Amino acid sequence: MVELKNVDVHYVDGVKGGVDALNDVNIRVNDGEFVFIVGDSGAGKSTLLKLLTREIQPTSGRVFVNGYNLSKLRNRKLPYFRRSLGMIFQDFRLIPTLTVYENVAFVLRVIDKSKKYIRQRVPYVLDLVKLNDKAKAYPGQLSGGEQQRVAIARAFACDPKIIIADEPTGNIDPRLSYEIVELLQDINECGTTVIMVTHNHDLVKYFGGRIINLKEGSIAFDGFIEGE
Amino acid sequence: MRMSNFNYLVKRGVGSVFRNGMMSIASFFVLLVSLLLIGLSVLVAMDIGVIMSNIEEKNEISVYVYGDVDQTTLNHITDALNENPNRLNVVFYSKEQAWEDKKNEMSEYKELFDYLTENPMPHTFRVTVKDISLISETAEEFSTIEGVEKVVAPYDFASALVNIRSTLTIIAGAILIVMIATSIIIIYNAIRSSVFSRSKEINIMKVVGATNSFVKIPFFIEGMFIGVAAGAASWAITKVTYEALVQLFRDDITIWRIFGLADMIQFDTVTWYVLAANCVLGALLGAIGTIISTGKYVRV
Repeated sequence: MVELKNVDVHYVDGVKGGVDALNDVNIRVNDGEFVFIVGDSGAGKSTLLKLLTREIQPTSGRVFVNGYNLSKLRNRKLPYFRRSLGMIFQDFRLIPTLTVYENVAFVLRVIDKSKKYIRQRVPYVLDLVKLNDKAKAYPGQLSGGEQQRVAIARAFACDPKIIIADEPTGNIDPRLSYEIVELLQDINECGTTVIMVTHNHDLVKYFGGRIINLKEGSIAFDGFIEGE
Repeated sequence: MRMSNFNYLVKRGVGSVFRNGMMSIASFFVLLVSLLLIGLSVLVAMDIGVIMSNIEEKNEISVYVYGDVDQTTLNHITDALNENPNRLNVVFYSKEQAWEDKKNEMSEYKELFDYLTENPMPHTFRVTVKDISLISETAEEFSTIEGVEKVVAPYDFASALVNIRSTLTIIAGAILIVMIATSIIIIYNAIRSSVFSRSKEINIMKVVGATNSFVKIPFFIEGMFIGVAAGAASWAITKVTYEALVQLFRDDITIWRIFGLADMIQFDTVTWYVLAANCVLGALLGAIGTIISTGKYVRV
């Protein structure tokens, strides 16, 4: 579960005196939900994601993710909190010197899983994203869509409670964007909460569901729309 | 951490050495030059120490004995000199030997010696000392021994040597400190460039929940690996260069003998220490440089 209570984020800027990135934001995302977060550039989407991954702390208010109170989370506990999240980025962030298989296996090594578990889990998640035949390829040898599927497999490999996707369709062919969201929906159906940030309104209109629209740091809309 | 995952990190660290070829080569050469400079400075400092000791050992205290002493007194003086903790070597020079040597030395005035009915030369003990800076105190102690008439020591020369040695020790120490400090700065920068080029990789590791030690272990292994390789190469170059220098001073240029350079330390006697010191120092510099350099990027 994700909960933001009266969250303000104020960036200090010596010249301009500071910027209010988020103003009194209240959000609650229950387990198993699929939520789109939309908004224009500068609306506060990136700030919201940074709060959820504890890259930044709120100026005021409280943030709870997966039972962790992020305001009180000590730095040495941060890696363990992040293991409960699956992150997907616009620029994929795959390690270029590792094969597809090794990229996925890497997160399992990070969480100290056994060799046997890794040998079973990696082919399973690669099969889920239909990339078993590319297991030995390096990220540079794959298309943008394929790289993003590897990133999804990596995010899902350690069976996280929440997957946070930051503009996952931003760097890929629009036609393939639908496949990526469908893949995330499949994962969501397995019980994983998915929070997807996007500025692709067509995609949101097509799939529908819960939409949170951020405007100038505040929530302009939080509700459900029907898909096309 | 499971052993299999630790082994994976070690393999990844060693693999990185070859994957990041150019950066590894740059770090290797920086470490190599630093270790060479440090190693040669230490060897030169040790040689200066040996040469100074050789010069110092050549300085002796002459202990003159009264002309009419008997054998018992001579034995007593010998024992007293040998008991002194600062004595290195005691050589007895009898008045008869001194008389013969004097005659040979002044052979052109041989007839003058025929007029002398008695041997005027005294018995003498020539004593070399361990610590030349204590020469005054040692000479003072010798002069109090019963039967000793006079003690002569090269006080001024000894004092000059002590000053030279202290100055050289300070200079050698300062050079060594500067060398180590410079090396650490250069190594830190070389490794930082290497780590910076992989900051994205570190960021990914942190985002997926890697602990700081998990991120650092491969870099640590990589730094140590390059450090040990640079240490071994530095040892080989030091050995070749140093042995060539020793040979040059020993065989070709006789003037170096006057300065005691023929007595330089033999590399074979210290070869394992130099190898171990180079590898350990290389590994330490590589590993510490890596840990400091990764610190900034680990805070994500």
